[in-house]
Amino acid sequence: MKKHILFVDDEPNVLQGLQRMLRSLREEWEMTFVGSGAEALQRLAQAPFDVIVSDMRMPHMDGAQLLTEVMQRHPEVVRIVLSGQANQEVVMKAVGPTHQYLAKPCDPESLKALVNQTSALRELLTDATLKGLVTSMKSLPSLPSLFLKIVDALKTPDASIQQVVQIVAQDVGMTAKILQLVNSAFFGLRRRVDDLPRAISLLGFDAIKSLVLSLHVFSQCDQAMLSKYALHTLWDHSFATGACARLIARLEKQAQPVVDAVVTAGMLHDCGKLVLATNLPELYGQALTLAREQGLPSWEAERATFGATHAEVGAYLLGIWGLPNTIVEALAFHHCPAQSQEKTLSPLTIVHTANALAHEQTPAAESLAFLLDLDYLTMLGQADRLPEWREQCMTVLQGGGQ
Amino acid sequence: MTNLIPTVGEQAEEMPCLNERQLRSLIEHTSDIITILNNDGAIRYESPSITHVLGYEPKELLGKDAFDLVHPDDRAATRQFFTHAIQAGKAGRPRQFRCRHKDGSWRVLEAISSLFLEEARPIGFIVNSRDITERKQLETQLAFAQKMESIGQLAAGIAHEINTPAQYVGDNIRFLQDAFCDLEKLLKSYEQLLDENKNETVAPALIAEIDATTAAVDLAYLMEEIPQAIQQSLQGIGRVTKIVQAMKEFSHPGTEEKVETDLNKAIETTLTVARNEWKYVADMVSDFDPALPPVRCLPGELNQVVLNLVVNAAHAIADVVGNNGKGTITVGTRHAGDWVEIRVSDTGAGIPEAIRTKIFDPFFTTKGIGKGTGQGLAIAHSVIADKHGGAISYETEMGKGTTFLIRLPFNPSTSQTEAVL
Repeated sequence: MKKHILFVDDEPNVLQGLQRMLRSLREEWEMTFVGSGAEALQRLAQAPFDVIVSDMRMPHMDGAQLLTEVMQRHPEVVRIVLSGQANQEVVMKAVGPTHQYLAKPCDPESLKALVNQTSALRELLTDATLKGLVTSMKSLPSLPSLFLKIVDALKTPDASIQQVVQIVAQDVGMTAKILQLVNSAFFGLRRRVDDLPRAISLLGFDAIKSLVLSLHVFSQCDQAMLSKYALHTLWDHSFATGACARLIARLEKQAQPVVDAVVTAGMLHDCGKLVLATNLPELYGQALTLAREQGLPSWEAERATFGATHAEVGAYLLGIWGLPNTIVEALAFHHCPAQSQEKTLSPLTIVHTANALAHEQTPAAESLAFLLDLDYLTMLGQADRLPEWREQCMTVLQGGGQ
Repeated sequence: MTNLIPTVGEQAEEMPCLNERQLRSLIEHTSDIITILNNDGAIRYESPSITHVLGYEPKELLGKDAFDLVHPDDRAATRQFFTHAIQAGKAGRPRQFRCRHKDGSWRVLEAISSLFLEEARPIGFIVNSRDITERKQLETQLAFAQKMESIGQLAAGIAHEINTPAQYVGDNIRFLQDAFCDLEKLLKSYEQLLDENKNETVAPALIAEIDATTAAVDLAYLMEEIPQAIQQSLQGIGRVTKIVQAMKEFSHPGTEEKVETDLNKAIETTLTVARNEWKYVADMVSDFDPALPPVRCLPGELNQVVLNLVVNAAHAIADVVGNNGKGTITVGTRHAGDWVEIRVSDTGAGIPEAIRTKIFDPFFTTKGIGKGTGQGLAIAHSVIADKHGGAISYETEMGKGTTFLIRLPFNPSTSQTEAVL
């Protein structure tokens, strides 16, 4: 099926240039080019689009306004900014409603790859409501205690970047948001970064301060919701999975970039649960009940209830936020690694195993048989490594440290 | 300040008379330097504060020529200024000049003078001077800060102005690359056709192949788009060149002296450089007097003033139109007798009554904290009035807009001069 892409720019030469440059993709993409925000909204009302790529500074309605409007009226559309703006203040205005940011001049390969990648992700979720729900999320809610901590730290004049790293690393929502910002060209960086401390130092203290305190890129999880769905265990489990993943990656002598990727993927692997619980709390409650009463693994209960699992929902969100593919892939298949194309020891393998081992340690653990695909590990020739991984992970998790 | 000393004249009867001891104490405790000079400039009296400011003991200066202490570059003008004051028989406006400190460094003094009378006959003058070195440094720093602020803002705008053509020039060239591959394919088939035709062995399959390729590459589209892609790429390069050139002219590094300047061109350059600041909120109308003769001025500083006015105009309009539509900025020049006029008009909200008296004050700003140093108009005033002997004024109407009017004398060296320090 052809992807429908809408391009918006007030400079006719830019539109025509894009049109010519992307002509070679005319068999794969159905492209529409318009010169203003008003016209873009009109087109969106007439026909469905998968992705909108908009300029930032335009007269009458600027890119931030347009994308905010699109987010409200057509939440399912993926929103990308393509801007030559160099003024950081103006750039920051776009952070809220924008999934990804590309800087002009942008080479055609990046643009093609980005649009292709985001539209490919859309196949992860078939349900339009669920798709719209994920695309309309500006942030993942943070644990209230951590949220207060980060706000306090950023208000303290002598706070250090290490403190910020330490707090953000404990929170699923903050980690995801920071990686989104750094993996997009908002700050002219646009590199594939999957390591949180590096992401934070690239953004810098001042940028994070204004993002958090003035632009409110982090949000707080509702306290009642936390206790109702026992969500607080999600943070502990995520952190533990990250720690186990790091340990396994090191035991297998993986290169540092792989270690960084699996720690982040481990931390974020269940973020889809946050999306579901905060947006569709009643259905989420039903899924929990279903799992408990019928002894189903959580993702099967989710599929029965939502038509999709938290793994797919989370992968889709991080995918359209522009996080590196290894992380998105590890998230998407963390329950069913055998379905992935990757048939060697990969970040996915590590996150899959780390998740199972971390669950084993919690009181309300789902059984390991549910969680661990031994056939998959055997196929990869890693099954005999499991006892050592488990032993080491037990030591670390019971010791409470890393 | 000298007027406060009641012995000088007319106010004496309203003030209690001071005896000599009191007067001496008054003079010795003031932080200003009080100097009495003979008509020839020899120092007759120096108050003790000179030691604090310039390091000399009053005694060691007695009888010396006061102008020897003045910086050689300022000496002639300063002497002339005091001589003028004596001839005119009245005190002049405050005068700034550099004086040598005993340690060899230079301090900037600001002085006023009045006649020193004996039996109604001028026998010298009283000079009251104070050290304004730090104030001068601060002023220079502020002017520099303002310039850096507007250049920083401009730099972001210029990056945007360059990034846009860079995007479409790149896209077009990429397209031309693809298009050439298509054309090459077609051209090869035609070459073959030519060969076969020469040998009179044209295969019908070849004709069919050419038809198919022509359709596949969409030759009609390519023939229409290629010239446009080239045309627009050249346009884009032209835009980049223009803005880079304008930036170079705008900054005018190092022009410390007044030079003959084509004001129309200078203003046009400034408008190009600032384009990103106004183009989203306003249409620009330029109304230049084509017969405007060259004007002697400091082009770099004048550009800065026009830039400040245009940016203010754009902000004034943005406050009114927000994101709904555009206003108009009109920039014009006119030749009016001995003066040249520059007008910058906006269709903004006008300047509220309450702040009209403050807009030329340093540090006065209506913009948010961190958005402006509040120096723009203060510096504009100083550049126009102090450095060019001109005048800057405005007319404003609430709801209609504001016009700033700059008047510059044609030949500033013959009009009222106020030396630039």
